Amino acid sequence: MHIPDGFLSARVALGYAAVSAVGVGAACFRLRAQRDRGASALLGVSAAFVFAAQMVNFPVAAGTSGHLLGSALASALLGLPAALVVMTAVVIVQCLVLADGGVFALGANVFNIGLVGCVVGFCCYRLLCGSNASATRRVAAVGFAGWCATVAGALSCAGQLSLSGAARLPVLLPAMLGVHALIGVGEAVISALIVASVLRFRPELLENPAPGAFGARPRSSTVYAGLGLSLAIALLLAPFADGAPDGLSRVTQSLGLRSIAALPVLAPLSQYGIPAVVSGALATVLAGCFGTLLLFGACWLLAVALVRPAPRASEPPQVVAETSG
Amino acid sequence: MSCIHRAPAGLKLGLSLTFMLGLAVLPARDSLWALVALPVLLSLAMLARLSPRAVLGRWALGMPLLLGAASLALFQTHGGWLALGLFAKSALCLLSLQLLVSTTPITELLRALRRMHLPQLLCETIALLARYSSLLSDEARRMRRARAGRTLTASRLQAWWALGNSLGLLFIRTVSRAERVQVAMRSRGGV
Repeated sequence: MHIPDGFLSARVALGYAAVSAVGVGAACFRLRAQRDRGASALLGVSAAFVFAAQMVNFPVAAGTSGHLLGSALASALLGLPAALVVMTAVVIVQCLVLADGGVFALGANVFNIGLVGCVVGFCCYRLLCGSNASATRRVAAVGFAGWCATVAGALSCAGQLSLSGAARLPVLLPAMLGVHALIGVGEAVISALIVASVLRFRPELLENPAPGAFGARPRSSTVYAGLGLSLAIALLLAPFADGAPDGLSRVTQSLGLRSIAALPVLAPLSQYGIPAVVSGALATVLAGCFGTLLLFGACWLLAVALVRPAPRASEPPQVVAETSG
Repeated sequence: MSCIHRAPAGLKLGLSLTFMLGLAVLPARDSLWALVALPVLLSLAMLARLSPRAVLGRWALGMPLLLGAASLALFQTHGGWLALGLFAKSALCLLSLQLLVSTTPITELLRALRRMHLPQLLCETIALLARYSSLLSDEARRMRRARAGRTLTASRLQAWWALGNSLGLLFIRTVSRAERVQVAMRSRGGV
């Protein structure tokens, strides 16, 4: 999802850099205000953790492998402002040390991976589990949040590329969404596994923040929250998935960018549609909704499978955590 | 240490950014002539006494991604030229970024960023990340090797399970390491 240099137009790159700067600056200000000055060690070492975790590949299919992105995981483990600072640091270091992702496109990459990933991941996680949710609920929420963050980041990446005129949205969107919906499944599984093992050894690390924080009050029913979220995501997708992206093309035209000609390149999208529904947009919404719900259900099942009954009392959990720490 | 290595990091960063801004302003359809910058970049790499094999090898490693992203532009009218132009632009940018990265250590870049008024907290985070990433990567590699030694014939499912467990454990170790680092910083009168 790291955009290399050379694909974004100057306007898009600078605009997203400004937005990311404001977001990251606000997160830094917030952290400075609420923490004592010494707590930056946790941020730095957590950033190193995300960096190291991204280097570990996991097998996906024959010969191919994927790796963790970590925005949703970080925002579940550290809270939103800290996760934003951590992911920004990770993206900057990946760019300036590994030449992975462009330096001119840094603002856009921070926006996709940091801002979008962390905000979407954090909102999904917090909406699905309140301050004293059960372990199953937490694990399911982290998995689902990981998937949502990956897909939302890919969406915003596709938007930036099409705003720059590098490719047209009806081509970009199925390509990016298709690939990242699959990558997101891997992200969901790994995030859920990590949180399940953290919950097993040091559950107090996942204690939620002060009451009154966003989402500290538990929702009445996880199912309703999941339903609402998937509906929101599908509705968010709808204007993009429509063959003629009216709003966006109007925006690009008014910005003086090359107009996105509304040609009927809908063929790749039609496989997402449901044949019985005539309207293309409605079919896409329904298909997206169904897919999101399916994934939510899968995350829930995974969480039920992962979270074992409470550990035996004779087994002190601290021992495992502190070996060779 | 060549003169390129010794040049101030802020200057190199600024020059790279200006170069990329110039390329971004250039219309993509007829940006093939920007390839005249290629000999300049290559001679800069030679001036920096970088090994040609390492530079070109790493450059080639990034090519598939650039080709894939550029080929998405083919689905437009006159998309061929657009795709070619985008590919040329991004390849040039990648080469110049690699030049910057391989001649400038992250500590120098960090000093330049600090002078550019990046928030203090972010600078500290980046510095600690640069310091501890190799430590934690090594730790992750050791844990993986230990896992491979114990489960010789792991199925894919078990591999995922073990990976999740070891990364969770790595996070727990991260938190306790952060506590120790913080105590150490405090006791030395640091931040």
